[in-house]
Amino acid sequence: MYAEKKFLFWLVAAATIHVLVMFLVIYLQILESKSVIKPKIVSVSLVSFLGSESSHEFSEKQGGKEANSAPLHDTPIPPISKRSVKVKEALPESVPVPAKKITKPLKVKKTVLDAPPVPQKKVSIEPLPPKPKPKVIENPADISKALERLKQNVAKKTETSSQSSASNLNNALAQLQHKVKSEGSPNAAGGGNGKGSAPAGRSGPGKGYGGGGSSAPYKAAIASIIMQNWEFSKLLLKNSYGMEVYVRINILADGTINQIKFDKRAPSEYLNNSVKKALEKSSPLPALPKEEGTRDAWIGFVFTPEGIEKQ
Amino acid sequence: MVDSKLGIFGLLSDAGPVVLFVLSVLLSFSIISWAIIAYKFGYVRKSLSESRAFLDYFFEIYNVDKAFSASENYRKGSLPRVFRSGYIEYRSLGDKADIRQVRARIARAVKREANAESKRLSSLVPFLATVGNTAPFIGLFGTVWGIMTSFHNIGTTQSASLAAVAPGISEALIATAAGLAAAIPAVMGYNFFTHQIGIIERDLEEFSPEFVAAFINEP
Repeated sequence: MYAEKKFLFWLVAAATIHVLVMFLVIYLQILESKSVIKPKIVSVSLVSFLGSESSHEFSEKQGGKEANSAPLHDTPIPPISKRSVKVKEALPESVPVPAKKITKPLKVKKTVLDAPPVPQKKVSIEPLPPKPKPKVIENPADISKALERLKQNVAKKTETSSQSSASNLNNALAQLQHKVKSEGSPNAAGGGNGKGSAPAGRSGPGKGYGGGGSSAPYKAAIASIIMQNWEFSKLLLKNSYGMEVYVRINILADGTINQIKFDKRAPSEYLNNSVKKALEKSSPLPALPKEEGTRDAWIGFVFTPEGIEKQ
Repeated sequence: MVDSKLGIFGLLSDAGPVVLFVLSVLLSFSIISWAIIAYKFGYVRKSLSESRAFLDYFFEIYNVDKAFSASENYRKGSLPRVFRSGYIEYRSLGDKADIRQVRARIARAVKREANAESKRLSSLVPFLATVGNTAPFIGLFGTVWGIMTSFHNIGTTQSASLAAVAPGISEALIATAAGLAAAIPAVMGYNFFTHQIGIIERDLEEFSPEFVAAFINEP
């Protein structure tokens, strides 16, 4: 009887000790969670490239506005940061430039390159399509076709947009023609001040800013889709040095990713493969915006595990 | 008050019923094991110390009457208990003329008490062996079940990413950890008590004839 009572006493004591240990573990975890710094989330920065077709149209649009010296006030387009331009000059022309790193998780910050021009900047943010401009220049029929198509597009835009003026259209066409001519003679010093952009990645000495063919919401949408499909953990990276993947994708009008090009690979194949898988998994993307009137578009991304660069 | 997604308890909140059942079984095993360890530790230690003290006294005076009165002070020792049973048997004998019969009866009484003492000492200890042997397997069962569920969920969601696989496996592995946490102290306690009880039983076997001889040769 005495032994049973004593054993029951120890049983209760053991149960109490277990409960206390559990509370202690919970308390320690609370303390630990308060002291631990939350790891930064991997983010992807978006840099746009010129589309093969859309670039003409966009250049024309921008050129027209440039001719009127009318800044873009109606649409809130963030200006290109100094840092972006600086990096761009240091890199080859075809390499997309990482925009600002994002500190908030699962949000994609985007550098929209169809921004107002930055004067006196020679290098434009342009892709290097595999077989670019020279083909167009060598074939005058293509140029005329392109001009006709652009005229049609501009006319359509004019109809839909009451704000567009006829003078803007004329200026835009003149600007485009001037650009094409200057592109046609490689030795000619391009003095155009329009926003002509060369899909070949070569812009004239004039102001060479051109935007991508896709609209900003569209880019944000596909960036979000790619982010959702990107399965990556920076904990699996042994080394953080140079972990940047510069990649650009060719999107067809129906949203299918036609081509994936790595302009710069990261030392980690895991990161490279994760980017490739994310892009493949994201295909097909939403169809290109119809108002752009494009057949395809090149869009560039810079995948960086954030926080590693700071180490 | 407590974040439900915090640490292992956060994982447990997502655990399935089988894993929770396994964990509750292991928790009860652990509680009972620790209770047995605490209870037996005091019992065995007291028995050993009192037995040694009584033996010292017994061989010092070598008088059964005085030894019996002294054994009242060592009521938790195994050897004093055995001695007392022999003494009671010896005093209950009316006719002590037949020495052989007297020796046989005292020896029988001493052996019976030694057996009872051995049973008392080793009671509950086999439970420690059972926990030590089975708890890791029970935990493993919970882990296997949890991983099965996890893979099933992976198949359902059609996502084999690390984010989809890791939480389920992590949750399942808690069962193995709990099994080991219950088994390790149980095995250690079992080995310790087996050794201590073995020492006491050897003392009982060794000194029981001495007690019988002391009663027979009483002046």
